[in-house]
Amino acid sequence: MRIVFGGAFNGKRKYVKEQLKLDSSVWLEGELPAPGESAVIAGLEQWIRKQLEQQRPEQDIIAAIRELAESAGERIWILTDIGRGIVPIDPLEREWRDVTGRSYQYLFGNAEHITRIWYGIPQTIKGDGRDEYLHENRG
Amino acid sequence: MVQGQLVFVSGGVRSGKSAYAETLVRQARGERNIYIASGIARDPEMAERIARHRKDRAQDGWWTIEQPQQLSEALPLIRQNDAVLWDCVTTWLANELYEGFEQGSLCADTPGCMEQKWHELKNTIDSIRAKAVYFAVVSNEVLDEPLVDDTYQEWLGKIHQWLASRADQAIEMENGLAIRRK
Repeated sequence: MRIVFGGAFNGKRKYVKEQLKLDSSVWLEGELPAPGESAVIAGLEQWIRKQLEQQRPEQDIIAAIRELAESAGERIWILTDIGRGIVPIDPLEREWRDVTGRSYQYLFGNAEHITRIWYGIPQTIKGDGRDEYLHENRG
Repeated sequence: MVQGQLVFVSGGVRSGKSAYAETLVRQARGERNIYIASGIARDPEMAERIARHRKDRAQDGWWTIEQPQQLSEALPLIRQNDAVLWDCVTTWLANELYEGFEQGSLCADTPGCMEQKWHELKNTIDSIRAKAVYFAVVSNEVLDEPLVDDTYQEWLGKIHQWLASRADQAIEMENGLAIRRK
């Protein structure tokens, strides 16, 4: 399992298309594949938002992501950071950022390799053999 | 022609990006230090702040060019061997994209309008770089939260990606810490 992460309009999809050798040709936008299927999953935050709008509880949403992530198959997750702004007043907007952030934390914990994209420039933040600096920093 | 260094500096609000970029430009030892400011005073507090910054910079030996839109108009004022700082892309983009607000015809809604400005901007940046010994472009990180305005974000992302690929150095500021990404 691999993650390509960064802010909106930073060139994440372009990076995946041009730099990663894709075994799977299934590319999903705002949708999840069935567990066990290989795919590139983009727009997870939009999928999460749709679930929340349909009043699906957070536990269910995270459970669905977990079930998929733990199943067989190779997946690349393209994750858009939506959590660095002001905490919104609107409850749905707030919940959306919360559930998205918690899903990302789960996925980050389980991914073998994470690349952050900053305006087209990639940086490996997990899985480059240096045992992720993030974890080193935990002390 | 020898090209000047192009440096892209981006960071959050109060990340120290402008101060860092100012230091870079000063260290470039140009004959003059030019500050292209794109901010517009929309209220008295901002007007006062802009005037104060301008005065501080003048005492510090900077030449300020107020250029909220049409960066190309600053080009004739720039001389060979100047060191130039442009602050910043986000305010410029807002000024250009929402041009025509009073008339009810936004550039953002007019087909081809922003494309034309974008084309000009790329040429202007290349021309400033060709003239100046050093050119630092400052911008803001606003793409890590969902905003209502998709058009603005999409243009900003496109401009930032271009700057990052074009620049000799690309720097992300994190609370006063400069992270060199290129």
